[in-house]
Amino acid sequence: MFDEKVEIVSNEKINSAYWKLTFASKNLSKKVLPGQFMNVQIEDQTDPFLRRPFSYYRVSGSKIEVLYEILGRCTEILTKKKKGEVLKILGPLGKPFAAKIGNKKRILVAGGIGVPPLIFLAENLPVGAYGNTPLLLIGCHTKSEALPKSELKKVKAEVLYATEDGSFGEKGFVTVVLQKLIKEHDPKSLFIQTCGPFPMMNAVMKIARAHGIEGEASMEEMMACGVGACLGCMTETKDGFKTSCVEGPVFGFEKLKV
Amino acid sequence: MKIDLTTKIAGLTFKNPVTVASGTFGTKDEFAKFFSYAKLGAVITKTVTRKPRAGNPMPRICETPSGMLNSIGLQNKGIDEFIDDTIPHFKKINTHLIVNIAGENIEDFAELAKRLDNEKGVSALELNLSCPNVAHGTEFCDEPPMAHDLIKAVKEATKLPVFAKISPEARDFLKLVESLMKAQVDGISAINTIRGMAVDVRTRKPKLARVTGGLSGPAIKPIALRYCHEIKSRFKIPVIAMGGISNAKDALEFIITGADLVAIGSANFVNPTASVDVVKGIEDYLKEIKLKSINEIRGTLKLN
Repeated sequence: MFDEKVEIVSNEKINSAYWKLTFASKNLSKKVLPGQFMNVQIEDQTDPFLRRPFSYYRVSGSKIEVLYEILGRCTEILTKKKKGEVLKILGPLGKPFAAKIGNKKRILVAGGIGVPPLIFLAENLPVGAYGNTPLLLIGCHTKSEALPKSELKKVKAEVLYATEDGSFGEKGFVTVVLQKLIKEHDPKSLFIQTCGPFPMMNAVMKIARAHGIEGEASMEEMMACGVGACLGCMTETKDGFKTSCVEGPVFGFEKLKV
Repeated sequence: MKIDLTTKIAGLTFKNPVTVASGTFGTKDEFAKFFSYAKLGAVITKTVTRKPRAGNPMPRICETPSGMLNSIGLQNKGIDEFIDDTIPHFKKINTHLIVNIAGENIEDFAELAKRLDNEKGVSALELNLSCPNVAHGTEFCDEPPMAHDLIKAVKEATKLPVFAKISPEARDFLKLVESLMKAQVDGISAINTIRGMAVDVRTRKPKLARVTGGLSGPAIKPIALRYCHEIKSRFKIPVIAMGGISNAKDALEFIITGADLVAIGSANFVNPTASVDVVKGIEDYLKEIKLKSINEIRGTLKLN
């Protein structure tokens, strides 16, 4: 685990929903796995006080890319940071997504800021042993939030979009697409990995449970330390409270209380 | 030139005056990947209770101006696991282990003290009389006679030095300190967090599930410092000072005001090496002003 100062290489708006920040870190680029995150100190001041967690989006050589949305004060500040400015990064943190899932067909269901870690996973799937093309389902409100094709070209999966207003891809929530796909397959042959807004993940897990499909979800709670010390970010599981930052954020569906 | 940071209080010798506040440093080795705990004068553990506690529902934390609120609710695995697992782990580390304990009544505290009295790996106890996040958590602070009886009972149950961690919201703070001293408490830890609240404007809900929580971080430093001064200017009693200490300069404000030990708390969440940075920073400062020992600066607040 590293706590290091990194220099921003670029920071740009990608579309109506996302910004992309790139920084260089030889240490992190060698260690990071899809589903992990880092705790970032945005300003070296007493205020904003706490660090903010961000998932990893892409590793390219020694460069790391982060895809983020403007969700509050710190992400707003982040959009103003320029090339050459410094951030303090603590990582890699957390349990990554399962890379190996046996012979099952992988269905990734992503929304909001759950999209970057699942794209990271979809670009780095283990070679061989899956006859079935993995699927990456992405849900968003409208076409302007859908990622440009250039961001999806390295994904080793078929990408299916759902927009709530029907302006791109299937009309409706991404779970509509998921339901259709499940009908076309033997549920036991599927494995779902999901990350995004809680209502989306809850809906995904309900569907998975109804069909007996295994999978995992990346959970999130307000976080302070990111290293399992403060006990602030607990996820409720069937075995009691677990730290989202160390014992999670990825939890098996069967462990979660939905 | 080696700077002497040795600090002697309550019959114990600490290699330096820096420790970490209960609840801000994990339970075992969460920070061990960043530095060796042996570099600290002491480690104060997360509160341990007789029975395991799950703690409060989420959300338990939120950021506030220059600080944060927490309502963790004393989540811990209970005294049995603490003795079986945590103490043996810390025995291998060359630093003082101060165990923070909490109970719902005097009997609880005394029982915990009795159990820990036998443990060779424990240097002292810190009694949590001031947690704002559990029912009855601060009652002892509001009733000095009760606090007095508590200390007497605990001191009968153990030979270990006993520190009382108190709240600035105690109904009569000075009377509380007097009562604790009358009962022969070995030191005071001050301050615990201060009750606060935050609201999410969009949802119109409190940001904490339990509505209120304890405020900590730089925002409370001036309050914590004032309480350190209130105690040190009136009483002769060791003080472990805490509240908003982020760096060596902060720590020195408290030491100059008379603090014997200082505890780094929320700053650990922002900077995993905050506590050892403080040790080094104090050393560097004493070197810079050409003093040889921490004792030469402790309690040298210039009052007219």
